[in-house]
This record gives sequence, structure tokens and C-alpha cells, in this order.
Amino acid sequence: MIASLWQYVLSGVVDGAIFALVAAGFVLIYQVTGLINFAQGEFAMIGAMTAASLATAGMPILPAAGLAMLAAAVVGALFYLLAIRPARAATGVTLIFITLGLDVALRGLALFVWGTNPLSLGAFSSGNAIQLFGGALPPQAMWVLGSDVIVFAALYLFFRHTYAGTAVRAAVANPPIASTFGIPLRTFAFWSFVVAAAIGGLGGVMIAPITSATYDMGLTLGLAGFVAAVLGGLDSLPGALVGGFVLGIVEHVAGGLWSTGWEQGVGFLILVLVLVLRPQGLLGRAARRA
Amino acid sequence: MTVAAPPATTTLDVANVTMRFGGVVAVDDVTFSARTGEVLGVMGPNGAGKTTLFNVISGVQRPTAGEVSLRGVRLTGRSVEDVASCGVTRTFQTPVMFWGLTVRESVEVALSAREFGGTYPPAPQRELAPCGLGTRGRRAAQAALRERAAAILDAAGIGAMADRSTESLAFGEERLLELARALAVEPTVLLLDEPLSGLNPDEVEAVIASIRSARAAGVAVLLVEHAVGELLAVADRVVVLDHGRMIAEGSPTQVAADPVVVDAYIGDELE
Repeated sequence: MIASLWQYVLSGVVDGAIFALVAAGFVLIYQVTGLINFAQGEFAMIGAMTAASLATAGMPILPAAGLAMLAAAVVGALFYLLAIRPARAATGVTLIFITLGLDVALRGLALFVWGTNPLSLGAFSSGNAIQLFGGALPPQAMWVLGSDVIVFAALYLFFRHTYAGTAVRAAVANPPIASTFGIPLRTFAFWSFVVAAAIGGLGGVMIAPITSATYDMGLTLGLAGFVAAVLGGLDSLPGALVGGFVLGIVEHVAGGLWSTGWEQGVGFLILVLVLVLRPQGLLGRAARRA
Repeated sequence: MTVAAPPATTTLDVANVTMRFGGVVAVDDVTFSARTGEVLGVMGPNGAGKTTLFNVISGVQRPTAGEVSLRGVRLTGRSVEDVASCGVTRTFQTPVMFWGLTVRESVEVALSAREFGGTYPPAPQRELAPCGLGTRGRRAAQAALRERAAAILDAAGIGAMADRSTESLAFGEERLLELARALAVEPTVLLLDEPLSGLNPDEVEAVIASIRSARAAGVAVLLVEHAVGELLAVADRVVVLDHGRMIAEGSPTQVAADPVVVDAYIGDELE
């Protein structure tokens, strides 16, 4: 029983690491623009499908993964320039509906381009499963966890140790005043979409060898990433990391102990509990004084 | 302290500015100029139109009539960002902070905004090397910026609290930081909206020292302040508003002795 539970936790850690990457995209865009981008999961889908297509066409996995992230980033850039920026004067609700519409549109486009058949992507490295205190992790798990370490460390260094990062934090804290200091809010908004899309694409690339890639995988990943982001706190990147892992582990443990049908239900139950008891999320900040 | 006569160079021109809100005339055909290296006091009772005038100058509100120009360049009709990039910076009646940043970061972000697309006119006394990732030039630029931020905080009297978060500051400390942050961008025109209200005597002294230092650096400082004694002591010239109209302009001595001003404002304030 304990051994099974430990294995569920390990599996949850791997999924949680992916959720954390998608959640990081939600948080990044929300922090910089105040917008919840419900199409975030589709960036992961684009990353996964592009990498799988390129690898199937004979490209080595690592260059394929890099190009897939680039493709997701380009879609993120177009997404902002063509849909979000022209509508920047619209209300928050309107912008959210725009992202929902684009979510459906991107999924439809993927269906058109790639069809319904799943695409497979080989593991980034071969070898036996890694044994850890009686549990086992697939070799791909190391790539997934390594991606999280690199992405979150890079984001931390950017926000805490660069002037551009400090400027973004100032812009997040008070956009009108930040703009009077010459801080370019629109440029930051553009890059938040590009980076969030690239990180989402990386999440898709990393999970594709584990689950395979399908045109509609973005919906599930997007929902999980959103729940993880809210769970951890929409304004907190460390919260995205913690939220991702909590969600991944809870889902796998619930699915393993009871039924896989419980996985998402329990995840949403945890979300509701956190929102009732701590609305700002596990690591989010309560609303600041004006 | 004797106040040197302000140079004759006109920096900011406010010409026939009127601001109406429906039937209410908040600013009524106001005309004056502010000069390089002077403190221009803007006095008047509550509702006289002082803050509205600041909003018009800084681009927050577009006047119903008239225009504002800076060294001959028309500011009216430009966005707040554009007006700021031309060199007009302001503080507010209630200090506005960048929550989540430290005191040092708040000033550094103002200093470094230009590196990310800010368009403030280059200040000859502040030369920052261009940034390039990981280069020696970047490190030198960062060191210069950090030193400059430390000097600004020291001059504002808040150097000791550089590593504190903005959330931990008391009201007076917020005022000092807001002023330091505004001075960090080396503005051409600095609009100060009641910078002395809510301060203790030491903080008042620090703010007045900063205002005088800005004047010495050639900044045109427009100062709205209800502390009439302090305003008259620090200002080189004063304009007085009442019900949106400018009822007097002159030296502090002239204005303080003007019976119209005494009747409309100073008499009540000094009682």
C-alpha cells in the first residue's frame, strides 16, 4: 500500500512538473497584463505536435524540441499582436472571451493540420527507469524536472536580479505610474506572451514522450495549468510551481487509491477549498492597499 | 537664506488653460510660465483648481481650452507617457508606491527605465554604459546605476532604509521615496502636489532640501502646498488660484501682502 502510494506520488510529481510549466505561462501573462489567457494549454499542444511532427520527419529530438518551442513562441507573438493588442481597450471579460475563442480556433487549426491521430515522440534519453526509494521514474522524468528547474530559476533570476525584471514588477504593481517613468508596458506585454508560449511549448514537448501528442491535449493541459496557477496564486511564480506539484500529486494519489475518474474531480475540489480558505492561493499575495 | 533671482529661461508655458467639467469651471483661463531653476508656488484654497491644473500639465486631462508647452514643444494632446518622456514628472497628494519592490529597487527602476525604451532626454551628468548581457560594460553600468541610486536615497534622507520593502514604509517615508524616485529621472519640470502634508518636522526639512537641490540642478519645480509659511519660504515666485481663476502672481513677499490674496486665502490659513 505504502509502496503504491509512493509510486503515485512520483508519477504525480512528473505530471505536476508539466502542470507547473503551463501554470507559469498563466501567471506570467496575468502578472504583466492582468489577463487570464485560457488558450495557454494550446501553446503546449503546439509544442508537442510540432516536436512530434519534426521528429517523425527525421529530425533529432533536441533540435525538434527547440524548434517546437520557437513555433509556440511565434504563435504566442502573433496571438498578442493580432488578437490581444488591437483589443487592449476592451474590458477584461471581453479579453478573456477572446482567449477562449482563440483556444477553440487553435485546436481547430491543429485538427485541420494534424488530424485526430496521436503522434508519438521518443524519450529524450534511453535507459532503465530510475529507482527512488522503491518507486520508479521514467528517464523522461529527469528531463521534465530539469526543465522546471531551468525555467523557474531563469524566471527567478530575471525578476529578482535584472533591471528589466524589476521594471516588469514595477509595471505589475502600478501600470499607470510605471508608464510615466518610461517603462514600456506594451513591450512587456508582448514578451510575456512570447515567453509564456515558449514555456507552454516546452511543457508540451516534455510530456509528449509520456502521453503522446494529440490535437486536443491543450484543453486538458490548459485546465490543469489554470487550476495549478490559481491553487498556487495567480500572482506568484513559486505558487505556480507549488500548485503544479500539489495538483499532480493529488490527482495521481486520488486516481490510484480510488479511481482514475476521481483525478480531476479531486483536483477541482482542492481548488475550491483553497479558494474558500485562502482566496489568493497558497503563495499568492492578498490584495494590497491602494 | 537669500534666494537667487531665477534665470529668465522659460521652461513651461501654461497659456489660457481652461478646464470645464460640465457646468463647473475647475480652471478658468489660467496663464503663467515656470522658469528653469525656480520653485513656482501654486497656492489656493481647496477646490481652487490646483490639482486639476497639475492633471492638465501632466497630460492626465486634456484642457477644454488653452495649451501647455515645454520649451516651445506643445504638450497638450499628448499622452501621460509622452508628456513624462518630455521631462515632466509629478508626485501625488497620496504617495503612489510600487508595492513589492524595495526602496532601492523603486529608485533603480526609475533610473533604469530608459534602458528598456524609456525616452527621457539624456542627462549629461548621468552617463550609463549601454547594457549587454554579461559584458563588462553591463556590470559597470549596473555598478554606476546602483551607486547613483544610493546617492539619491542618501540625499533624500532614506539611504538607511534602502533594502526595506515599500509596504513597510510609514507615510512620511513614502513621501520621501516618491520624491526621490521623481528626482531620479532628472526631470525638466517637477510637479509636487502637497509634498509636505503629513510629514514630521525632520521630513519637512528633508523634502525642502530636496526641492532646493532640484532647483539648483535647473529643474522647474511647481509646488502646490497648503503649508503657506513653508511654501512662501521656499518659492521664488507664487501664483494664486481661487475658484479656478488666477488672482495673483509675484514674489512671495508681494503675494503675501496682496489684499486680494489675503482676503481669499492667506488670511484664513494663517489664522
